[in-house]
Amino acid sequence: MKNIYKILIVAVLALFTAASCQQFEDVSKIGEIESLSVVVKANLDLGSAPAPNGFNVKLINYAERYEVNTTMGANGTVTVEGIIPGIYTITLSSEKAQDGFTYNYSGNVVNVDVVTNNKQITVNVGASKSGALVLKEVYYCGSKTPTGGSYFRDQFYEIYNNSETVQNVRGLCIAILNPLTATANLPVWPGDDASKFVYASTIWQVPTDVDYPLNPGESIIIAQMADDHKKSNLNPNSPVNLLSAEFETFINTTSLIQNNPAINMVMAFWPSPTPQWLTTVFGGAFVIYYPSVAINPANFISPVGSTSKNYKIPIDEVVDALELVGNANQVQLKRMPAVLDAGAATVGGTYLSVSVGRKVKETKTDGRVILYDTNNSSEDFEVLNPPVIRRYGAKAPSWNTWK
Amino acid sequence: MRKVKYIYWAGALIMTLITTNSAVAQEAAKQNSPASIELLKAKSLWFNTNNAAGLTLDKMHDYSDLNFQYKIKSGDFKKSHDGEKESTLGVSTEGGLKLSGGYVWGKFSYNNETLRNTLYNTTMINPERGMPFYTVDKNMSDWKRQNYKLEMKVASKPLWDKYIVGIQGEYVTSTGAKQVDPRSVGYFYTITVKPGIAAMFGKHSVGVNMVYQNLVEETRTTNSNGQLSQDVYVVKGLGNFYSAVVGGLQSLGQFVYSGNKIGGDIQYSYGISDINFILSGNYHLRVEDVISSPTKPKKEGTIKEEMMSANLTVTKSCDNFHRLDLSYSVNNSSGIEYVQVLDNTYEVQRWVDVYSSVRSTYNQIDMVAKYDFFRGAAHEYKWKAGLFANYRDNDDLYILPKSKMRVENLFFGINAKTNIPLKLANRLILGADFIYKNNINGYYIYKGADATSPVITQFMTPDMQYSRQDYYKIGGEVSYFTNISRSNKSGMFVKVAADYYKPVEGEGNRMQTTIGLGFTF
Repeated sequence: MKNIYKILIVAVLALFTAASCQQFEDVSKIGEIESLSVVVKANLDLGSAPAPNGFNVKLINYAERYEVNTTMGANGTVTVEGIIPGIYTITLSSEKAQDGFTYNYSGNVVNVDVVTNNKQITVNVGASKSGALVLKEVYYCGSKTPTGGSYFRDQFYEIYNNSETVQNVRGLCIAILNPLTATANLPVWPGDDASKFVYASTIWQVPTDVDYPLNPGESIIIAQMADDHKKSNLNPNSPVNLLSAEFETFINTTSLIQNNPAINMVMAFWPSPTPQWLTTVFGGAFVIYYPSVAINPANFISPVGSTSKNYKIPIDEVVDALELVGNANQVQLKRMPAVLDAGAATVGGTYLSVSVGRKVKETKTDGRVILYDTNNSSEDFEVLNPPVIRRYGAKAPSWNTWK
Repeated sequence: MRKVKYIYWAGALIMTLITTNSAVAQEAAKQNSPASIELLKAKSLWFNTNNAAGLTLDKMHDYSDLNFQYKIKSGDFKKSHDGEKESTLGVSTEGGLKLSGGYVWGKFSYNNETLRNTLYNTTMINPERGMPFYTVDKNMSDWKRQNYKLEMKVASKPLWDKYIVGIQGEYVTSTGAKQVDPRSVGYFYTITVKPGIAAMFGKHSVGVNMVYQNLVEETRTTNSNGQLSQDVYVVKGLGNFYSAVVGGLQSLGQFVYSGNKIGGDIQYSYGISDINFILSGNYHLRVEDVISSPTKPKKEGTIKEEMMSANLTVTKSCDNFHRLDLSYSVNNSSGIEYVQVLDNTYEVQRWVDVYSSVRSTYNQIDMVAKYDFFRGAAHEYKWKAGLFANYRDNDDLYILPKSKMRVENLFFGINAKTNIPLKLANRLILGADFIYKNNINGYYIYKGADATSPVITQFMTPDMQYSRQDYYKIGGEVSYFTNISRSNKSGMFVKVAADYYKPVEGEGNRMQTTIGLGFTF
């Protein structure tokens, strides 16, 4: 009898110990948090651009909503103290005007862990002249109908000539990248040079039949559907009338979709088209670019482990880029390479009838505005309510006779 | 659902066993009543320890009861997650039985609760159970909850006239659902096992027991209106949070809480003449992990809780009965947070810890002194009176960025009951109590990322104002007991009780009314 009790007691003890041991062991040596220092270094690759005088340095921990701003001198190194251990996006930016040009300097590292003291982080910084064509305003989140339904046919993309010279949008492409929404599960692309490309799910192209000149201060509107969306059969609550849009992504007519006055874009790449080009209302990642060779849909590429069809776009050919995410917390789930867009913009929800648009950097004497273009959408864009096409006095091009 | 059925039938079985056994086995015993059961428990030194082995030493007589009660709370003097109105329908049954020189005891209870117009609790069945990592939202909502609790204690007869072995078990399971988007459904369970042993050395007795508890809570969030995503806040202590969304492609995933508690207690009791005392102490350690999206688990946090307490109970039983309880307990919890990166390798795709640290601490000191006097120490008391004082100090800290919360309260209470005999062995119990809470110290300093967020302005700050308010509570109860069997072994009682809470300064109040029907065997 005594032995049975002993065996029972030992068995019970062993059971308890085994069940809890690992969990207790895991936390036994965890100490209190301490702030850290981090050393940020700039590695300059400026080409022919002049050297900047210094940098603004921003460290953002999106999970903690914690941000540290400081400056870096011309020596290219700064030690930042008081850092909460975590995952950071570190951005270096600067600007310099010289010889009649404005040079933007930017570089960042995304999702770098800062969990050890005095960790050295090198940020590669490139230089570019401010872009000529920029995505000026994008309305992607859709609107609510009077009955509470969701309406998404009124999306538009406005492209603006932010330069001092005439630009030609003939053959200009707009692409939405894979993955369509912000996610931690980024696809793995094959090839040693995979990082030199972005990968489009869909590409639409301005027709290449004639020239479409765009003067400084003029913009074009690419509408999903270039109609008056306030019509009773569409959505009287929609904030936009897009009848004056220059282009639309028309596919075919339905009871709601008609071929409007806008010029029809060319569906250059879309392996599985649907009746309308609905881009995600949670926020996609967009690039505009001029392809150096004609787009051949047969030359698609698939990520590792997937059969989805995508199209490679060389980063060098990208004119402008904009990463959109579902909410501010998703900025850390970036899909776009930092060299194209170091941040991300968001309206913070869906069907809100609001857009994102670039901030005004300066207004010329003739009223023409110059928009921010630092290749960091977190800095360059703001939420605009309501969405308005050709805001800030932007003009429609002269060849738009239906405006 | 299958679990719920098992619990239902197990509860029904316990109820049947308790009522029939006690009716059969109780030999020439006096009739049990609510007053006699209350006195029986007051006299039992080991009953309220974690060591079931001591039940045999308590020499309790057989008893059992069955209670039905309906409770309503209403009023705006409350915390955010409490309901403006709450109703609880409950049934419980409890009984103890001498068996072969030992003692067995069991209890089953079931409660069905409806909470109207709660705020800032999206997922937790019990947001006050010491878990800082959970989800809140701004939408006012009802909650529906039900819980089942099964408890049992078994003590052997003295073995070799010296040793008593015992085991105590508890199984609790709860379900709950929030009724407005973002809505949630949650499941919670704990199973607790406490094996113990006691040894007798003349008038001295010593005991030791272990404690093991396993805990699981699962919560899922969803929207009824799939067209409208809902913003939520995943809080992690002292108002710090991260934002998330319920609905859409990036919807907040399922949360799974899994914890274990181990620990041990020691007891020493001594009896001299009509004075008995028991001194007990314990140390318990709980670790509970919180993960989201269990198919690709991401750690939301871990709580490590250390609990220590020392208790002294002294009783003096002569014509009257005196009981003095003194206790001191310390509860230190640490909120652990993790820095994780996603290993995006195609075949792997998992979150990997790169850093972990204690981000927050929650320390509580609790001291209680309680004295009860029972006039008449035989089977029932004639009247009783008691008073207590309770000092409680909660000192919470979020280390980086530093936020601090401190609430230091002193409670005073006085209560009395009279057990008035009526004709035909019927009894009327009248009771009244008064509690005064004096806030000695209370402040909340938030230095986190977003001091203007609703989590701070509409949740943490109002709850802090509630915690630091002085208030008084006036309570009263009336219970009528009558015999319902020819053998005078079974009785029935009806009870009405009311408690009224009122802050000393400011508006608001809270009223709790209870109506009960019970049977004793």
